Amino acid sequence: MRIETCYFCSSRIYPGHGIQFVRNDCKIFKFCRSKCHAAFKKKKNPRKTKWTKAYRKTVGKELTIDPSFEFEKRRNVPVKYDRETWTKAVEAMKKVNTIKTKRQNAYIMQRLRKGRELENERDIKEVQRDMSLIRSPAAGLKERKAAEAELENMQESDVEMEEGIVEDGGEVTL
Amino acid sequence: MVYKRKKYHYGDTHLKKKWRTKRRTKDLDQIDEDIKPENIESLVNQQEDFDKPGNAQFYCVHCARYFIDNQALQEHFRTKVHKRRLKALEVEPYTIEDSEKAAGFGSFIQPSKRKIETQPSKEELEDSPNKKVKA
Repeated sequence: MRIETCYFCSSRIYPGHGIQFVRNDCKIFKFCRSKCHAAFKKKKNPRKTKWTKAYRKTVGKELTIDPSFEFEKRRNVPVKYDRETWTKAVEAMKKVNTIKTKRQNAYIMQRLRKGRELENERDIKEVQRDMSLIRSPAAGLKERKAAEAELENMQESDVEMEEGIVEDGGEVTL
Repeated sequence: MVYKRKKYHYGDTHLKKKWRTKRRTKDLDQIDEDIKPENIESLVNQQEDFDKPGNAQFYCVHCARYFIDNQALQEHFRTKVHKRRLKALEVEPYTIEDSEKAAGFGSFIQPSKRKIETQPSKEELEDSPNKKVKA
């Protein structure tokens, strides 16, 4: 008994499921369900079909290169049953699986972090562009105008005062 | 009892025939094997086969098609079908091994791109090995 992988979507095929196609050069194409078989018959490219694992890996959505992928292998040599090796193998499989999922999740989080950064940037830009919606540019205009007018008045009075002084002192500097 | 009134598959015999396994042509990964330099010569210079179009003398390796004469073959090289096929072969084709790698058997290696050109003519293929022998 063996759990095969689907040619199109790379999912698992359990015994009694799916269909297989043998090409005239003896290559066996296994399909998990009619959806995958139909897509193959239509000559769809699994790398360009969004719901396949091949697509997710080619586009960089999932972890592709990692030593944790090297454990699962097709070993075509039968091993004589030994209780110790069996228990050890099962333990190791569990451990490898936890490490693998951890790494895959870490990869996805790393990928999403970039999106969050871009989102922040975009938000800041939007706020700066539409600042007028948050605080009207006309807010406090009256007060500002009043303050300006007051300042002018003060300056004018100052200038008048200064002019008197300068008239006297101007000749001195010249 | 309700009977199905509408015939959904009326007049699609030509479609069914097109997708029969009997009429299957070579897949891209098979062609990828064919265009390797060690295989291409035996395909361009085939033995005379009276059952094939043009006695199997005018074969396009990339499209896996036989033509009746050299003119037809040369004209085919200028068509859109052929150019599209060259473009499709630029990326390494998807194979069963790739599907297993995507499932987690070993690291998934990205397919590489290469430049694909129309096959050399018979004379060029005959000349090139001779030249190498002379040199």
